[in-house]
Amino acid sequence: MADHKTNKDQRYDRQLRLWGDHGQEALENAHVCLVNAAASGTEILKNLVLPGIGAFTIVDGHRVSGEDVGNNFFLSSDSVGKNRAQATTELLQELNTDVSGNFVEENPDRLLDNDPEFFHRFSLVIAVQLEESTCLRLGSVLWNAAVPFLVCRTYGLVGYMRLVVREHTVVESHPDNALEDLRLDQPFPELTNHITSYDLDNMEKKDHSHTPWVIIVAKYLQKWCREHDFQLPRNYKEKEAFRQLLREGIRKNENGTPEEEENFDEAIKNVNTALNPSKVCVSVEDLFNAEQCENITSQSPAFWVMVRAVRDFVQAEGRGSLPVRGTIPDMIADSDKFISLQNVYRERALQDAAAVSRHVESHLQAVGKVCIWGTLHMWNAAFLRVVHCRALVEEYGVDTVHKDEITSCMDNPDSEMVLYLMLRSVDCFYQQHSRYPGVYNYQVEDDIVRLKLCVHSLLQEYGLTVNVKDDYVHEFCRYGAAEPHTVAAFMGGAAAQEAIKLITHQFVPFNNTFIYNAMAQTSATFQL
Amino acid sequence: MFLAGILGPLRKELADSLSSCRVLVVGAGGIGCELLKNLVLTGFKNIEVIDLDTIDVSNLNRQFLFQKNHVGKSKAQVAKESVLRFCPSANITAYHDSVMNPDYNVEFFRNFQLVMNALDNRAARNHVNRMCLAADIPLIESGTAGYLGQVTVIKKGMTECYECQPKPTQKTFPGCTIRNTPSEPIHCIVWAKYLFNQLFGEEDADQEVSPDTADPEAAWNPEETAARASASDQDGDIKRVSTKDWARSTGYDPVKLFNKLFKDDIMYLLTMDKLWKKRKAPVPLDWHWTYGLKDQQVLSVGGYSQLFQRSVETLRAQLKEKGDSAELVWDKDDPPAMDFVTAAANLRMHIFSMNMKSRFDVKSMAGNIIPAIATTNAVIAGLIVLEALKILNSDFQQCRTIFLNKQPNPRKKLLVPCALDRPNPNCYVCASKPEVTVKLCVHKTIVQTLQDKILKEKFGMVAPDVQIEDGKGTILISSEEGETEANNGKFLSDFGIRNGSRLQADDFLQDYTLLVNVLHCEELPRDVEFEVVGDAPEKAPPPSVPEEEKSITNGNKDSAQPSTSTKAEDDDILIVDSDEEPSSSTTDVSMETGSLKRKLQDAETGETASKRKRLDQQPAAEDDDDDDDIIALD
Repeated sequence: MADHKTNKDQRYDRQLRLWGDHGQEALENAHVCLVNAAASGTEILKNLVLPGIGAFTIVDGHRVSGEDVGNNFFLSSDSVGKNRAQATTELLQELNTDVSGNFVEENPDRLLDNDPEFFHRFSLVIAVQLEESTCLRLGSVLWNAAVPFLVCRTYGLVGYMRLVVREHTVVESHPDNALEDLRLDQPFPELTNHITSYDLDNMEKKDHSHTPWVIIVAKYLQKWCREHDFQLPRNYKEKEAFRQLLREGIRKNENGTPEEEENFDEAIKNVNTALNPSKVCVSVEDLFNAEQCENITSQSPAFWVMVRAVRDFVQAEGRGSLPVRGTIPDMIADSDKFISLQNVYRERALQDAAAVSRHVESHLQAVGKVCIWGTLHMWNAAFLRVVHCRALVEEYGVDTVHKDEITSCMDNPDSEMVLYLMLRSVDCFYQQHSRYPGVYNYQVEDDIVRLKLCVHSLLQEYGLTVNVKDDYVHEFCRYGAAEPHTVAAFMGGAAAQEAIKLITHQFVPFNNTFIYNAMAQTSATFQL
Repeated sequence: MFLAGILGPLRKELADSLSSCRVLVVGAGGIGCELLKNLVLTGFKNIEVIDLDTIDVSNLNRQFLFQKNHVGKSKAQVAKESVLRFCPSANITAYHDSVMNPDYNVEFFRNFQLVMNALDNRAARNHVNRMCLAADIPLIESGTAGYLGQVTVIKKGMTECYECQPKPTQKTFPGCTIRNTPSEPIHCIVWAKYLFNQLFGEEDADQEVSPDTADPEAAWNPEETAARASASDQDGDIKRVSTKDWARSTGYDPVKLFNKLFKDDIMYLLTMDKLWKKRKAPVPLDWHWTYGLKDQQVLSVGGYSQLFQRSVETLRAQLKEKGDSAELVWDKDDPPAMDFVTAAANLRMHIFSMNMKSRFDVKSMAGNIIPAIATTNAVIAGLIVLEALKILNSDFQQCRTIFLNKQPNPRKKLLVPCALDRPNPNCYVCASKPEVTVKLCVHKTIVQTLQDKILKEKFGMVAPDVQIEDGKGTILISSEEGETEANNGKFLSDFGIRNGSRLQADDFLQDYTLLVNVLHCEELPRDVEFEVVGDAPEKAPPPSVPEEEKSITNGNKDSAQPSTSTKAEDDDILIVDSDEEPSSSTTDVSMETGSLKRKLQDAETGETASKRKRLDQQPAAEDDDDDDDIIALD
């Protein structure tokens, strides 16, 4: 068992450094469903099987064709004629024996007719190269079941992704600009006591130069506040004056020249960090104001019970502040001083966390549920986020379409938005002709005319007064609905990355449409 | 017709040219595996792949052509076999070899229409860059690091070459910091890696680990000498033999090693009391340990002492098994070697009053680990092939440098394509007559330093020949064995080299000639042997790097300095330009940071913004104005 663990640690070492053990655990508990094992689909699954998702199930009613073998790495010429779900499952499974691979030889439409609840069991459903009508049906089944749905498509030199999730909660958003949580603007009592235990004026020289900068800044802030009407330095000028105060605190040798005290240098450098006000950030404030936070019921997901408990904490024990994070940055200090400072923050964080769990418990009790929070990861309240996507029906509805987004993007006729409109137009073509334009070379010319009509009727239907250049119509006919492998490979990487975000609840996924233009190597995201 | 799928979007002539052209893939790691797959499925038929590395368990989370039973085998060979299993019609040649081997000369490179790099280190990238310039073959360069990635196209005379923009030299640590006065965990980790080599590996005079008595800061008074002499008594006899010989003479006794390294040497350091006037003095350790340790956590001193003992015993056994004159090579993925460095570094951190680090963190720093995932490699390899198609279509104007962001930036772009820059006329590689000026002291610099540190390490030559332009054509260095070794220990001034002298350095294999102007200078800063005039100064580190970034981007294997491993280690390094370079005091190397100016052609607006910031690290304030430059305030 221990051996198996080491083995895994080694195998996954390079990714554990990105999403940690708990992210890996979430992956290993996930069951992902892929609808259609076309090249884009198997590329996505490959990138999920390698990092070790728990299980996958492929749903596909197609038989393997020669064309499939030509662009799909997970099919070989002896798979021709077999069911595509089965053939690809076998080869994908080989990539990682820790992953359980399953397949269903069934057309998704039929599955939706006979057993729509089949799809409820998955952590995530990914559909590729799925025709529009089926996609909309599947989308509404999953929307109602609150199962995240990722639509992915490779069409010639264009890639498309659409995330359909009612509510996705992000526990660790990994913001690029995460600030330290030091509370120096409003120190909690234990921190104040700890600061008071230092007497900078009557210290050995070595202790003086090994006092953590947090203590130094806190000490001088006390002094500053006494002299400035209990106001912290607010603007650049005052902060500069405060830095000067710190500079003056550096010990001088017998000749009056300042000693080198790196901890003071660090303190001066960190004045801004230290003065960062400890307030609840806007994105978390939004969570507090959400309806799901207000009304906790027995059906409330764990995330919202947690958010509510944090809100209660802020209003009660926290006196307006979030629970203390409990981690401090590395700084110049000797081990003893650093560790005791670290402990002050850590203890407080544990106390705050305990207070939050009491709130959780009381909410659960109120709705008649037992506490099931055993292994809650040490999360950080400031990094909680929530993402709401629009449903596909809203995007497709004539009254609910995001017309403004489309029209304003189309001010530039070469915006990636035009590719979206073209994709919608080829779907319209498919509806009328039961095939995509340009799939047979001899029909390309005729199809150009037909596709143009589709573009017009689409624009008319939605009342869009935008101009779609003829070039794009020609281009899309030339694509012949092909799925070039290298574009599929790109989409496989990009979609799998979003899937990992969704499964681990780390990082914020895109919302809600992603378009890739492989010819120009550009991409864009839209809210549709 | 299997190709029907791509014949539509790709014109027929292009599809035909794919099946007839020959391409070279350099590297069969993370990007290389994806690339081979994409190439065969796009219709490329004749592919050669070269990689000197063998397969490791930690590759399996992304290098999908390899499986557990392949561990230890040649990457190039297994990659070829795996691809052929799926696509038997491809014609693939695999070389389990270094691309820097002279067999792969300019003629070899001329066999190809296109070369694609999927490399992990700067030395090989420099070399392939030069080979492709010499052979005038287009090159696609690429790299990934965690969620970030980049692809670019290099074409002689049309675009910047890989070396057009100077890359900042990696941070190195002065010997006395490592040996006498470590102040950050990385100093102890570098020390522990040096120690590994001193004890078990190849000894290197630049990797001393014992106290440095020549530390200028420690210049002591005569009256203190007596105390020092008595303190150094016990290692007086050690001084005369190498650390390795001494260790061998004790039979690699862990307790004796421990006492010398963590007690006696530290006591000796304490006698250099000037060092400790302002610093907190180290505290020697006694050999003792207690039972009960857990892996992957920060252990107690006792735990690390025990780990030290255990790992020394294991390494001793490994050494014995290999025979008398055997040497071990440090590898971060080799558990005993990693245990040894974790233990030794942590014990030293404790001695110098630093907070100890977990094995996981030590591994990151010691191995310069770049996190690597399948998804980023898949995206980048997809982009490479699309650039390849443009090149084969002779559509260089459409080629781009493409950056992959961690998430869509404030302009909602995941990908940032940039027009390719023109060659830098002052490039010391691709200019028509490359020339540099090097500042050094001709009385203190020996020929060996010129060869190893300046020409090979700094200017990326593999086997330089050097001639002095003194009218007589004096040969200073010959790449032929046995011709000029006698010169190695002599000073440059011994050959009449003085201020203004010109040296012509040639690398026959790279078909590359560099003219070196000598600028004599008596006083260079401490620990600096030479400076290249006009080299870009190291970019100031960004003011604040989020905590998690510190641990994921701290370095890459290009950091030749702290890395002592000679074997290719890991793959897929971001080649240029990351603003996420570590500023943390606990990290040792900077990512290769190019201060590339960049002409961004925005598809929507056609605007050109120069000096675009690579990563939008700032809060995602909706940013609709043209200027993406962000000034980060501390």
